[in-house]
Amino acid sequence: MWLEGLVARGFRNLAPTELTLPPEGIALLGANAQGKTNLLEALYYSVLFRSFRGATDSELARFDGPGFRVESTVMRTGKTGTIATEFRVAPKRKRIEVDGAESSRLMEAMGHWVAVAFLPSDVVLASGPGAERRRYLDRLLCLADSRYLTALTRYRSVLSQRNAALRHERRDVVQAFDEALASAGAAIVSSRVRWADTATSMFAEEFAALGEQETVGLSYRGRAELAAVDAWPGAIEEAWPADSKRGVTTVGPHRDDLILEIGGRALREYGSTGQQRSAVIALKLLELSTLSEAYGTEPALVLDDVFAELDTERQNRLVTRLDEGARRQVFVTAPRRDELPEGLTLPVWNVKEGRVTCP
Amino acid sequence: MSVIEDLITELARLPGIGRKTAQRLTYHLLRQPTDRAVHLAEGLQSVAERVAPCPEWGTPTEHERCGYCSDPKRDDGLLCVVEEPSGVEVVERSTEFRGRYHVLGGHLSPLDGVGPDALRLEPLVRRVQGGGVREVILATNPSMEGEATATYIQQLLTGERVKVTRLARGLPMGGDLEYIDGVTLSHALLAREEVGR
Ligand SMILES: [Zn+2]
Repeated sequence: MWLEGLVARGFRNLAPTELTLPPEGIALLGANAQGKTNLLEALYYSVLFRSFRGATDSELARFDGPGFRVESTVMRTGKTGTIATEFRVAPKRKRIEVDGAESSRLMEAMGHWVAVAFLPSDVVLASGPGAERRRYLDRLLCLADSRYLTALTRYRSVLSQRNAALRHERRDVVQAFDEALASAGAAIVSSRVRWADTATSMFAEEFAALGEQETVGLSYRGRAELAAVDAWPGAIEEAWPADSKRGVTTVGPHRDDLILEIGGRALREYGSTGQQRSAVIALKLLELSTLSEAYGTEPALVLDDVFAELDTERQNRLVTRLDEGARRQVFVTAPRRDELPEGLTLPVWNVKEGRVTCP
Repeated sequence: MSVIEDLITELARLPGIGRKTAQRLTYHLLRQPTDRAVHLAEGLQSVAERVAPCPEWGTPTEHERCGYCSDPKRDDGLLCVVEEPSGVEVVERSTEFRGRYHVLGGHLSPLDGVGPDALRLEPLVRRVQGGGVREVILATNPSMEGEATATYIQQLLTGERVKVTRLARGLPMGGDLEYIDGVTLSHALLAREEVGR
């Protein structure tokens, strides 16, 4: 799968852009604030239909502009498909079309263009709180399995209803939501546990392939037995005193985490900066292989200015790793050519004041 | 202002009728024999004076209770619980159900401040306790909140001498009763499951 064309209008600081992209990808060079990351953000937009930096759609619209349009033309097994999003700031309106037909549900629009993005801020996956790793898991599993997206959406709404009932101190109402909490929660836990089981050894392999010596571990921290709906009534009952005291639901996958260890100790506390960066790369490569298996095609990789953060040895190993196996489209950015690893042989494009140029 | 102007203004207040159309209607009436306009006026007056919402679920009726509630051919022993009056129309249109209805007036949504007290639950319990109801069929929307509301009612009726059933699962999740095709709904109604007694 590769992105053949990108149209972006009214998007951030980008000038009206209409690009035809090469199947191997591009290396995009430009000084800071010229629009490198904005272009990657537009490239990735049709994956999740939101910003990979967590910006709102209104923030993506050009300052003082009416809104934006992003159109991605994707080539997959010899066929092209077009995914277009039109966003209006006022009155707020978002319309997604897949091959010209409106997609009223996000679930139907997702999966037509799949990519993995790696940003410098992703280091929080290794060093930050559990919420970051939950976000990683949820994004990954939503893309890999549409049933996960359904369960997650349902779980989030039942959780907020149940918490509201807890705040109103109505146990009878709280209990009315227990069944939905259990069925959606069990679906989430079972998907996550199943993924973590296969990911453990893959994570260690990817980490070692980056030249790291120490052994690493990845495991799911949470109550794995909650993968079964039957386990929920007991767990909910047990959690009642805490739930009612704190006014929030204290049991369920919204509190779980992915534990990363190095040499048997928490990577977050004991890993060096270099090791943490390698661990994040390994997680991203894991995301790539999970999605590639789910879709039966190689997703693209979007790397925003990540080489500068790595020492030369880690840079080279990453480039070697990217050259291995299936061919995939890769987008990288850097301020200057000499900040990219030598082994990287992508066509070099430039961006200046929001205008993308190719030689 | 003239009486003609008055009528035009009144007609123009109706939905879908602009001032131009109101004028046309007024002059049309003026060209008709006088008793036509008098009949229309009488019709409007009767409706305004004699029609009131049915106490059971608010559908307009000129009797004490609407057709669904007073029709002697309907089975008093079967009570179908829906969220909104539109749910009654859907079940009527698409299934063979010939029992009575109870409209809740919404579903539980603590986030929006809609608790049990905001729904017509007390009248439901009274109706069941009043005797004569053999089965309560919970036909709330297959959304998460609709399901939770059904669960709540199920709990509420525990201990009452009545069979409580729910529409069979297999309805699309997150849906609205209104958007489910008749075949699916008929099937779900036939295959309803007992959920407690
Ligand atoms: Zn009635």
